[in-house]
Amino acid sequence: MQRIFQIDGEETECWLGHDGSRFVLNTPDGTVACQLDPTGLPGGYTLRAKGVVRELRLAVGPEATFVHMDGRTYGVGRVDPAERLAGRDGGASDDRLVAPMPGVVVSVAVKPGDTVEEGQPLLVIESMKLETTLTAPRDGVVAEMPFAEGDSFGLKDILAQLAPEEE
Amino acid sequence: MTISKLLVANRGEIAARVLRTAKARGLATVVLRHVAEQEGPAHLIADEVAMIDGPTPVAAYLDISQIVAAAKKIGADAVHPGYGFLSENAGFVAALEEAGVTFVGPTSQAIDLMGDKVRARAFVEERGFPVAPSAIEDDDPATFVDRARAVGYPLLIKPSAGGGGKGMRVVREDSALETEIETARREGERYFGDGRLFVERYIESPRHIEVQVMGDGQGNVVHFWERECSIQRRFQKIIEETPSPALSPEQRQEICETAAGIARAVKYRGAGTVEFIYARDGAFYFLEMNTRLQVEHPVTEMVTGFDLVAEQLRIAAGEGLSAVQADIPQTGHSIELRICAEDATADFRPAIGDILLLDEPQGEGVRVDSGILDGGKVTTDFDPMLSKLIVHGRDRAQAIARARNAVQNYVILGVTTNTGYLDAILSHPDFASGDVSTGFLAEQSEMLTAPGEDVSDLLMAAAALSDDRLVSDVMQIPKMHRKMGGWRN
Repeated sequence: MQRIFQIDGEETECWLGHDGSRFVLNTPDGTVACQLDPTGLPGGYTLRAKGVVRELRLAVGPEATFVHMDGRTYGVGRVDPAERLAGRDGGASDDRLVAPMPGVVVSVAVKPGDTVEEGQPLLVIESMKLETTLTAPRDGVVAEMPFAEGDSFGLKDILAQLAPEEE
Repeated sequence: MTISKLLVANRGEIAARVLRTAKARGLATVVLRHVAEQEGPAHLIADEVAMIDGPTPVAAYLDISQIVAAAKKIGADAVHPGYGFLSENAGFVAALEEAGVTFVGPTSQAIDLMGDKVRARAFVEERGFPVAPSAIEDDDPATFVDRARAVGYPLLIKPSAGGGGKGMRVVREDSALETEIETARREGERYFGDGRLFVERYIESPRHIEVQVMGDGQGNVVHFWERECSIQRRFQKIIEETPSPALSPEQRQEICETAAGIARAVKYRGAGTVEFIYARDGAFYFLEMNTRLQVEHPVTEMVTGFDLVAEQLRIAAGEGLSAVQADIPQTGHSIELRICAEDATADFRPAIGDILLLDEPQGEGVRVDSGILDGGKVTTDFDPMLSKLIVHGRDRAQAIARARNAVQNYVILGVTTNTGYLDAILSHPDFASGDVSTGFLAEQSEMLTAPGEDVSDLLMAAAALSDDRLVSDVMQIPKMHRKMGGWRN
């Protein structure tokens, strides 16, 4: 059974199996025999893998698993490959600027039809009391600027859309 | 004017912290809650909760008439403002006065004077206290740019009505001056409704050192020693400590007495903080005075043994200061870490999410002032600071060791926080030696956000084995096929 795990923006495709006595995680780098046992603490587990034993605290969210281990906290994104194939996990694209957090548009520098160069300012937004200038991710032509000055936007709203690149 | 029922006009960790002291003093307590706000620790501590509403949660906490009406309705005879929100709003103080409710804080005149950076500087300078070279737009707007130029580079543009680093701009080259002035003006108008500016010489690699003061409003002022707050990112403090590792005993005496002198000059009432820029050559300049309890006040409590909120409540009730200067010790060393919902590896983008598991550290010399509950939700409605971790040790080395141990054992799962980043700062050799300036975080950003040891395999194994659907799918495969991994399509 497959999962794609995302750690620090890097994706790794894995396959979990069971050989009759233990679980085996197949990663692109090799095979990891592993075992996870609860310790009794809330979210507490003992992980045995790759010949090491780690005490950890763990919580499973809808899209990511959070792990506290050796004094650090990690987020591990989980994607079901079947859902990705169905296009339901939304993918990044260099055609659009997506709001990294909710905020307000301070000013808009371009309009649909404008030709822009990579790095050229497209709009200025304010989020968490901080002004940020968003720039063109590549050379291209502006297709849509959905928000006007003063408009509020939500997390992951599309703030600017470039026309698809012609091959 | 005895106080019997206190409304805390704030939220999060500071509301909880103020409520604890108020209850210990036997007061009836009330706290605000916005209709769309998650339940927090403060709501569990307070005897009563007053609901407020507004176009946004923050707007509700800034709504003077609604909060004054809530205080009247619930029969509160005093209001503690916490920090932020209306804590330094002279109009709020005046409205409470009119309603016959005691404000736990300074007079509206002191807030007005110190809230206007320009007037505050002039006031301090006229009385012979040190300030950095500057130019003030209001003196003659037509020549402001030329006078700014004459101050010399690098210089710092600040909104006259500003605070917390908002709208502040460092300019190093003349070519950028006019654009930066316009940007700062825009930000000043938006954040503070006031686009007036001033500039001052930017002191390179300075330290930020501030002094806690407390006055009775009759001219009696004591100080509770200094706090070093040089660990800042974009003018926002991240780690604070006391004593400052930079000061000799003589310098400490001088800077603390200067602060007390400034507070005495305004016959200051209540808790305040005088902030200084401390240059590498040992010179220090008045920066501003904050007329409220500061976020970082707990480190002062840890080394002096005083409860500053209790002192505030005493003074507001007309009981005066509980101590004279000679009774205020500075024992051991204390460090505060601000735990924030943000992703240090993604330019400190605010993080949101559900708190799936919360286990806060405990132990000798460890204090947590928390604004979150297990199962709560972190949104961008409010500031990203979730809680404060404060430690005390017999000396700085022990305090650092305790801080590291505590932050490593601070379990918050479900929302990304800066605990790893804080630990990286604490483990940096320059922090250990105390040799830092306000530029430290920016200069060391690469090292401080560097990824640790690669434990991806362990993390993926943990994520896979705790994924119930994945595990049950695996176990449903007939035994002989289960280990046929790698077979795809």
